[in-house]
This record gives sequence, structure tokens and C-alpha cells, in this order.
Amino acid sequence: MNRGSTMSDKTISTLRTTISRRSTLKGLAAAGGLIAAPGFVRYTQAQSAAPIKIGFQAHKTGIGAAYGRWYERTTNAAVKLINEAGGINGRPVEIIVEDDGTDPKRGAEVVAKFANQHKTDIVYGTLFSHVVVGSAPTAGELKIPYYVVSEGYHVASGKMNRWCFQPGITDVRAQVTSVAPWVSANLGKKVAIIFPDYAFGHDHRDYFTPAIKAQGGEVIAQIPIPPTESSFTKYFPQIPAETEVLYHVMVGPAVLTFVKELGEFYGSNRPQLFGFIDSLEAVDINSPGLEFLDGSHFWEGAPRYVQANDSEAMKAYRAAVGIDDNGAAVEDAKDVSTAAHMFGCWETLYVIKQAMEAAGYQGPQDRQKLIEATEAIPGFEETNEHPQGDKVIDGKLHQCYGHQNISKVEGGKLKVVHRTEIKDGFYEAEADYTQMAF
Amino acid sequence: MAASFCALALLRPAALDRYFQARLPLFVMADRGRTATSLCSLAVVLMLVASGFLGSHDPLANPLPLVVWTVLWVGFTLLQGAVGHVWYWLDPWYGIHRFATHMLGIRKFRAFPRWLGLWPAVLLFLGFAWFELIDLAPEDPPRLAAAVSAYLVATLAAMMVFGHEPWGRRAEFLSVFFTMVARFSVLDWDRSGDRSVSLCWPGAKLAAAEPMPASGVVFLLAVLASVSFDGLSKTFLWLGANGINPLEFPGRSAVMTINSAGLLAAIAVLAALFFLAVWLGLLIVDIGSLLGSAGLLIYSIVPIALAYHFSHYITALLVDGQYALVALSDPFGRGWNVFGTAHRHVEAGIVMGHDSAWAIWNAQAVAIVSGHVLAVVLAHRLSLRLHADESKAVISQVPLAVLMVGYTLFGLWLLSTPSAG
Repeated sequence: MNRGSTMSDKTISTLRTTISRRSTLKGLAAAGGLIAAPGFVRYTQAQSAAPIKIGFQAHKTGIGAAYGRWYERTTNAAVKLINEAGGINGRPVEIIVEDDGTDPKRGAEVVAKFANQHKTDIVYGTLFSHVVVGSAPTAGELKIPYYVVSEGYHVASGKMNRWCFQPGITDVRAQVTSVAPWVSANLGKKVAIIFPDYAFGHDHRDYFTPAIKAQGGEVIAQIPIPPTESSFTKYFPQIPAETEVLYHVMVGPAVLTFVKELGEFYGSNRPQLFGFIDSLEAVDINSPGLEFLDGSHFWEGAPRYVQANDSEAMKAYRAAVGIDDNGAAVEDAKDVSTAAHMFGCWETLYVIKQAMEAAGYQGPQDRQKLIEATEAIPGFEETNEHPQGDKVIDGKLHQCYGHQNISKVEGGKLKVVHRTEIKDGFYEAEADYTQMAF
Repeated sequence: MAASFCALALLRPAALDRYFQARLPLFVMADRGRTATSLCSLAVVLMLVASGFLGSHDPLANPLPLVVWTVLWVGFTLLQGAVGHVWYWLDPWYGIHRFATHMLGIRKFRAFPRWLGLWPAVLLFLGFAWFELIDLAPEDPPRLAAAVSAYLVATLAAMMVFGHEPWGRRAEFLSVFFTMVARFSVLDWDRSGDRSVSLCWPGAKLAAAEPMPASGVVFLLAVLASVSFDGLSKTFLWLGANGINPLEFPGRSAVMTINSAGLLAAIAVLAALFFLAVWLGLLIVDIGSLLGSAGLLIYSIVPIALAYHFSHYITALLVDGQYALVALSDPFGRGWNVFGTAHRHVEAGIVMGHDSAWAIWNAQAVAIVSGHVLAVVLAHRLSLRLHADESKAVISQVPLAVLMVGYTLFGLWLLSTPSAG
């Protein structure tokens, strides 16, 4: 499929039908969820008190380590609560950590270790795309459920396998697609995209360009930056003078330089800026040099800063993970979390719990039933288990859709100014995993 | 640095004497109890190996990788460089070797072939550096435990054949390296004399060291080059030159071949530059042997090696050192709290943010620059041992001083250039 094609009316109406069917299912699932509360008969009938073993494929070392640390912290917080509430199917949950070094080859080895040596029930928690892509084939061969928290489009692309699932965090395609209506209505219709010239940047270019066009806007310039570039001023003259919105997704150690040079280039008379917080995830927004971002907008999966209208679920989640009002560790104000992404660990673990309970999961012999049960989950409401918000799971895609946040930098904090609708992120599906053999 | 070289050129040797010969006696320390401390050290090592096999597979929760890569290779190296030959007491083979040879009645050892020089140490260090920098998972606890066990046993076996002291001086790379580094420290223990411990200036003891064979020269340069290469291999420059997108670093598995070649090339290039600088110096003054001069002047590299060690690993030491404190309290992941540090929060923010970055960068820069200044001073002093004629001694060091200025700039560049991971 051409990634640049716009969503047809037919697709949208199909999605609407799916949603209304899902809403019905959702009601049923919620009822099932109530019955399956602690004390439910299945707990007392648990055939084994042995723990449910979850193999956590963690980026403890390598380039993903900063994310890995927060993914682990979120995971531990969720597992603690799950166990306090009686575990899964009456059995406690045990997390077994293996470091994948943020490396695809090692990632595959680690999946094999989980399956063969630790004999975990499932593998969970991978973030970096190249590790997911490198590990998924091994999970498929060993027939072990592989729940990733990666936000990459690779799962929804259909290129993984029946065993690979991303139910707790939306993918980049949906994220990019869903911010387009708000950008077009509030910031401007003439957009210049400045992006690092590789897959991550290309995703943004390829998904945002048609999405903004569908809103009556236009990408008037696409400016690729070589990934090894460390000085950016020479690229700025390529930004057309009539640009209303500069969509930027630079990442890496040179982001601070990028922002600083952009500030020097524009002074006080700049177009609107829209970016993805991936650029500054785990970085203090008040770092010297970032002043120029004041008044600009960012996508956030979950808000980093505490918001005036935070739900009780979000408050409980933040307290359990241990992040302060600024999204940093409560023990260490300089340790800024990866708040925009790490909620996905929390929510994925609760999806796993829900699916295991629905499948009556007892052990590795039930792995196939577990995948089928996950595919059958239509979505979930915003609860303590899903503090980022309600979601829809497309069982065929093995991927969830959810709300996105658009935040404005104000007084050195990110304030959520808009929350997208789930449907804003829908795109034409390319895959149907349910048709694949186990 | 260049200024320090010029200043030195004008200094009278007698003025330098004061720096190198000044000693402030502190106390007397008997050479007793080494067997006991060594056996205790071995017990700790064995406990760590056991936790590597049996404890958590998480490299930041298991004490073995943290102790080997952070506490020993980084922290202990700096400790040796600061206070002296602590390794003499903690070498885990000394006690068991003594015990085993006594029990087996071994009195004579095979002579260590002289022609081998320190090449066995060079080879073993290469293996260590390759494992640290290039292997897919050197921090994986069971993998590391297997490697450490194999090295422990093989070294003990070799020491049973060649003796503890000869093998430790020529082949066991940790002993070789720690001994070299300890010569930089500010404590001078006259072990074979009156057993007094005196305070001295950093690097003062290096001026009196015995010349090293070519293999010893290559050994120290290999350590320095490997640490520098670890920094270089993560720069955008190196990754870009090798066709790797630094913003999408593909992981160790994708760079094993280029980094293996790069590591060897870095050592070869540094060794070639060093010998070239020494040779050019001799060419100018038209006197002296290349190997003899290089064997002595290599000691001027010790402060540089220590400075790089500090600068390159300081952030890892600050963060992983904390993880080590936590992990050591619960070595087998059983919920123990042996030292009361098991639940300590690891403050990763210590290296984050603008203020930390500023402080760390300055500490690194000060270390690199002062390491190089000391190196120039040392080279000057050592060349006075080589050349009776003072003016020849000064002129002969010019090429080496140029190399050192270049290496300082390289070190500062490494610290400031964008890098991945």
C-alpha cells in the first residue's frame, strides 16, 4: 500500500461500524471484568500457586537505557498493584528481567532464553523498534506471546507475526495522523516539515503529509537533515517564508543546538512550532537553550506535567510510579521520566492480565488461547488500569488506538491544550494477523 | 600545555628534582598479612561469580557486572592511581597460589621465557578489551561469570607452572596494569627497605621506574588506545564514516566487525605514533636507542592513561557505582539487605541536566589537561635520564610533546563531540 494515500470514505464508514460493534463488546467485557474481580471463583480454583512469569525484555544497557530504566520502574509499580490485588488468575506475577542491550540480535537471544531457560509464560516490554523487529521472529518460532510497548508502526504494518502484540500504546502512524486536524485548525495550514533523514523522520513525513492534506492543509516543504548533522543553520533558509507551522521531529544529542540555532534564525518573529516530545523525552524542558520553545506545541502520549484536570486514575498512576508534578522521579528532581511513553508498560500489563483471565490461562499450553483472547478484547475504558485513557484494540492489527495529547510549553511546563479523539488516529489497516497461522 | 613544555625547557633540573624527590614520611607499614587479605579477596570474587551464575540476570541488579566493569576496572584503577598498590593486597591469586604450592610441595617453577616479554599481558588485555567493548553482552551476569571463572582458573594454573610473581609481572594483565598505574600515586611505600610510607607528588615515583621492554610499551598504549577508542567508536564521526546512522544506533551486533578492526587499528596507530615521536626525538639529537628510550618515556603516558580513564568512565562510575552499592546488599536477588543499601534509590539525575553536564565536562577537561601537563613534566624528567646533555634532553622531547598536545586536543574533542549512547 502507498503510505501516502488518504483514507477513503469507505474505510471510515467501515471503521465506524467496527467501533459501534466494539462498543457493545466493550460493555460485555466490562461486565466480565467486574465478575473477574478478586474473590472470583477462578481464583480459588487456581490450579497452581506458582507465579505467572513475565519475561521483561529490557533495555538496561545500550542506547535505550534511559527509557529502559523508566519502563522498569513503571512495570514494577504496576506489578506491585496487580499482586496486591490478587495477581492473575489467583497467581502472583513474577517479572524476570533480561537485558537486550538495545540490540536486535541480543534481543532474539533473550527471547529464546525466556522461552527455553526461564520458561516464562510470555515476553513483554520492548521499546526500540529494531529490537522488536529482530526479536519477533524468534517469538514466533518459539510460539511465545510477545507484547511490545514500542509505539512503532511495525506491528500494525503486518510484518510481525501472530504472537506479537502492541495493545498498550498507540503507534506512530496513528499519533501523527491524529494531531493533523488540530494543527490545521489552530496553528496553520501551510506546514514545513523538518526531520532527520531516516526511518523515524520518514514516518512523520509520510504520515503527516496526507493527514494534513485531508484537513485542507498542505505541506509546502519537506526538509531532511542528515542524521550525523550537528549544525542546522544552513538548512533554515529552505523553510519557505509563508510557512505558518514548522513541524519538527529532530532527535538525538544535537536537539539543543537545533532549537538554539532555530531561535537565532527567527528571533521573536517565528512561525508556529509543532513537535513530538520524543525529541526531548527525559530532558528537562527548562534546559538552557530551549527557551525558544516557549509557546510552541508538542505531542505527548501521556502528559509529563501534572494537569489541573488530571483524572483520579492518572493521579493514582503517577503516585504509584513515583513521579512528581514535573514528571521527574519523586526522589530526584533531575531525573526526568519518559512520561509520554512509559504508561504503555502499565497499560500493557493490565491488558495481559485481562486476556489471561479471559482465556483462563494456566500455563504455556494456553499461549495460543491467550493470543486469541487478546485479539478478542475490543478495548477498555479509562480506569486505574488504563490511566492514559480509553482505547480501542484492533484485534486484526494487534494494535490499539487511543487519545493523544497536544501540549503547549507555558512558563517552563507542558500544558495539555487538546486531547484528540480516538477516531482521529484511525488509518486504513494493512494487516490481519487473525488470518495468520500460529 | 605547550606553555608548560616551554617553561620546562627553561627550568633547571635541580628545580625538578624537588618535585620528584620530595617525600613526607607518614608511617611504617609492615609487609604482613598479604596471604590473608588475598584469600579474603578471592572469597569475595568467588561470591561474586556465584551471584553471576545464580543471581539476577539484570546487569544493573547483579553485583558481578557492576563490580567487574565499574568498581574494579574504573573505580579500582583510579584508586590505585590515587593511593598506590592496593592490588598488592587484594590480588586474589597470591594467597591461594601460596597455599596450593605449599600443599603440593611445589618449590620450583618453570622459567618464564624472557623473549616473551609482556606480550602475554598484551594478548590477554586485548581479549579483555574486546570482551568489554565489542562482545554482544559483556554485562550479562552468567556470561561474565563464566568468563571470570575461566580466567581465574587459567591464571591460577599458569601461576602454578611459572610462579605467581613472574606470571603476575608479565602476563596477568590486571596485575601488570594496576602495578603501572600505582606508580602514579601519592603514597610511596618502601617495601623492601624501611617499610615507611611517605607522601609524594603525583607521578613522582614514575621518574625512577625501570625501563620497560617494547611489549610493556605496547601494553600501556593498548590500554590508553582502547579507552580512547571506546569514546571514538560512539562518535557521530566514526559511526557516520562507517555508514551507521547514529540516531538509530543498530546495536553492538551490527558493529562487531568494524569495531574489532577499529580497536586493533587504534592500538596500532597510537603505538606507531609513540614510537615515531620517540624515534624523531632521537634523530634530532642523534643519540640513544629507540627501544631503550621508548621503554623509559612510556612512563610519561601513565598520567594520560589515568586521565582518560577518569574522563571516559566518570559518568558510568557515578551512576553504576550506585547500582553496585544496591546490588551488593542483595547479591543473589533474594530480598537480602546485607549492607543496608538494598533499597537505596539510584540517583540517575546525578549526571543529568545542564549543571551536571557543566560540572562533569569541567572535571573531565581538567583531568585531561592536567594529565597531559604532568606527562610533559615526566617526559622531561625521564629524558634527563637518557641524555646527560640537558639541551639534548629538551630537544629530544619535542616530537613527543607535540604528540601529547595532539592527544589532549583529541581527548577534549572526544568529550565534546556528539555521540550515540
